[in-house]
Amino acid sequence: MTQEPVLEIRDVVKQYGDVRALGPVGISVREGEFLTLLGPSGCGKTTTLHIIAGLTNPTEGSVSMKGRDITALEPPQRDMGLVFQNYALFPHKTVFDNVAFGLRMRRVPKPEIKERVERVLEVVGLPGIGSRYPSELSGGQRQRVAVARAVVIEPSILLLDEPLSNLDAVLRKRMRLDLRNIQQRLGITTIFVTHDQDEAFEMSDRVILMNKGGIEQSGPPEEMYDRPESRFAAEFIGEANLVAGEVVEVGQGELKVKVAEAIFTAPAGKMTVAQGDRVTVMVRPERVEVSKTPISGGNTLQGKVSSRVFSGDQVSLTMRVTEDLELLCSKPSTALYRGFDIGDPVWISADDCWVLPRVDTRKGGAA
Amino acid sequence: MNTSGRLFSTFLFSPIGIVYLLFLLAPIGFFLSMSLFRYDAFELYVPALTTENFERVLTDGYYQEIIFRTLKIAFLTSLFSLLLGYPLAYFLARSRTQWRGILMFLVIAPLMSGIIVRTYGWIVLLGSDGAVNKTLISIGLIDQPVQILNTETAVLLALVHILMPYMVFPLFSSLASQDPDVERAAGTLGAGRIRTFLEVTLPLSRTGILMGSALVFTLSAGSVVTPALLGGKDVQMLGQQIYDLVLTTLNWPLASAVAFVLVLCQFSIIALYFRGGRHGPA
Amino acid sequence: MTTQQNSSGSSFHAARRSRITRQIVMGVTVTAIYAFLLTPILIIILSSFNTTSANTFPADGLSLQWYREFLESPSFLAAFQFSAWLGVVAAVGATVIGFLTAYGIIRYVGSYREVAQSIAMLPIMVPHILISISLLILLTVLPIPELAGLIIGHIIICLPFTVAGILASLDGVDPQLERAAWTLGASRLRILWEVVIPLVAPGLFSSLIFAFIISFGDVYIALFLSGPGMTTLPIEIFSYMQWESTPVIAAITTVQIIMIFGLGLIIERLVGLRQIMRI
Repeated sequence: MTQEPVLEIRDVVKQYGDVRALGPVGISVREGEFLTLLGPSGCGKTTTLHIIAGLTNPTEGSVSMKGRDITALEPPQRDMGLVFQNYALFPHKTVFDNVAFGLRMRRVPKPEIKERVERVLEVVGLPGIGSRYPSELSGGQRQRVAVARAVVIEPSILLLDEPLSNLDAVLRKRMRLDLRNIQQRLGITTIFVTHDQDEAFEMSDRVILMNKGGIEQSGPPEEMYDRPESRFAAEFIGEANLVAGEVVEVGQGELKVKVAEAIFTAPAGKMTVAQGDRVTVMVRPERVEVSKTPISGGNTLQGKVSSRVFSGDQVSLTMRVTEDLELLCSKPSTALYRGFDIGDPVWISADDCWVLPRVDTRKGGAA
Repeated sequence: MNTSGRLFSTFLFSPIGIVYLLFLLAPIGFFLSMSLFRYDAFELYVPALTTENFERVLTDGYYQEIIFRTLKIAFLTSLFSLLLGYPLAYFLARSRTQWRGILMFLVIAPLMSGIIVRTYGWIVLLGSDGAVNKTLISIGLIDQPVQILNTETAVLLALVHILMPYMVFPLFSSLASQDPDVERAAGTLGAGRIRTFLEVTLPLSRTGILMGSALVFTLSAGSVVTPALLGGKDVQMLGQQIYDLVLTTLNWPLASAVAFVLVLCQFSIIALYFRGGRHGPA
Repeated sequence: MTTQQNSSGSSFHAARRSRITRQIVMGVTVTAIYAFLLTPILIIILSSFNTTSANTFPADGLSLQWYREFLESPSFLAAFQFSAWLGVVAAVGATVIGFLTAYGIIRYVGSYREVAQSIAMLPIMVPHILISISLLILLTVLPIPELAGLIIGHIIICLPFTVAGILASLDGVDPQLERAAWTLGASRLRILWEVVIPLVAPGLFSSLIFAFIISFGDVYIALFLSGPGMTTLPIEIFSYMQWESTPVIAAITTVQIIMIFGLGLIIERLVGLRQIMRI
């Protein structure tokens, strides 16, 4: 059964004077989903979130929730909880009063407020700190209070605006899991905004990658990683070797692409290309195989190690294949891979490769 | 902004809007337009268009002298306020002393004590029995008290004293918002202290200078109480003329014409300030 | 530094000497300016303890007789009380209107902030005597009680200062807090009451005090608008001084100075007087 989306935004555009900050953009969110808006700063993800929350009015388009058009509603009439990047806890109110704020605005009876605030503080792992002021809390605690304040009103949708970016690296990693746990325990539909790919992948059911005010690609994390549609998507999500090639044969669900002097076989996906088209082939560095002895078969190239970077758990090798083709390979730092040195001749195989279906005009050119 | 946002901003701005429109701009407009009405001994003013009030203000030697004196005193007041206020503002903006809070308070405190209080202080100081005369006599500089009260000097002294804080505020904020590193950079580039001041600090505080000068000029040109108490009969300024015409002579159209001349002087100064400000570093 | 001491020692000392000279020049200049600013006020305080009736200085002896005279003068006492009452009313009015205006300027006019701020500053650009006369003439045309005219006049001259002061306080409030309250269900008015006002309370209180001080010291508005039974203290002093001049004025103004210094110190403790200087 395909259920109706909880939230749907259609053809939303945000214009500031002559500058189009966003759109047109359409997103639909399923019940209970953890959806992430990922993108560099200025890509429109926060604007989108603010439009969903009602803090910003779209210039065009509509927002609807459970089939009801809410475009014209102001935040108090929408049923959403928002966690801000800097938490925005009221400094003059205690933790209890901060969390109770939304309930008081909804005229919930006092005893019930007390019960619900205490319960939610337990859910976020901060029982018994109700009488403290935000200034007396650590960064991680403030973050949890901000989440508690947003979820205590039991909103239909929880919106998180880069809530982890003000935490230090260690805490940030732990909070990812904690946030995901809280979300799953409450079963609350969540939209999360971040510029951090790791955060997006670890927490989300689905990721929407945004760029320059539009949606670049969306899908589950693994699909986004394995099957990027554009150069931007390939490079923004993880590291990628992007090499130019020419289609030599279009087969059944398969493409043969000429890269340097070798012929690469890649899955065809749903793309329509013809023989002779110039395309970009992507190989993730950890999926590049290297060997000091010749490898036979397809998708193989021959080159020389041109640089070697050791970073503890990993060894990164850059290999020069031709004048204008270099490949990066990241491997676990085992004795086998530490054994490669600059200048060593190597055989490279890239069985797991992917042809970007969207051709950028920048390089390779549209045929 | 949506409807309820517009509604709320209307709510925020309507009190000041009503107060300024109904009780500031409209009455001033009405009063100034009265300068074109004819004076009538019984009805005070008759709304018949005439230029006779302006003709009188601009051609009568008595008014010419007063206009000239008002402009002169206002100009000198802003000049001396600048000369005294600048070092003070510079000191307050740059000094790192722990007394800075108190020193700032001492600049603001006189402002807060009101015009009457400070004018009275000058009466006590400058009177023939006052501190200044007694000091001068005791050190043997003079043997008879000199007449300082009821002179332009007395009015000027008191006006500078009263209005100087208005000069210090804008100067202080333009100096305090300057990055002191710019001065240091000029220093490291080999500019001497005086060069640095003339070529860096002074141009950067231009907005403050113009704003402060315009403010002090406006306020001194419109003063009534200080010249009345310290200048006596001989040092008449435009403000007193308006006061007398409104409350004593009851010639409101003429008062309006005099006020119009006053406002015209002030607006030309403010216009100068805005023109100067545009060229300045924004 | 140590290796260069011999070669650069003399220029080092010269630089030090010139720095000390500069500091002395600056110190003397600033002291002189402060002396100019404060002498008239000190003179008033000292001459209020004078024994003779002339405004002489130095005083011939010490007495509190002028303070007694002030406290026994019904007209001065009534004027003092009226001024205080008027100051409170005008301060409340100017602070409430000033707060609404400042909040509107900071959150609802966007890039027109500078323009809106200049408009709010209008009354300090217009000579107060003009404001006052125009109000007087308005009262002859419209059926507005004189007292209301006086209060409105005082609110007008206080507004530039309350708006500027409260703007400075509001600049320190994170707009995200208001957005947070909004998404949690608070109406715009409720946000003001629950979030903004508590956060700028010190600024509002100091604005109240500052407006009170301005109203209390005003001459020009009251010059035209105070009538019988509603004479402010500065006007009472002004009309008294036009005929005679005794140290009773010094005693009254000393009381006023002490009151104002006390109130000024409260502002300093609340928000720092620096904020007021940002006008």
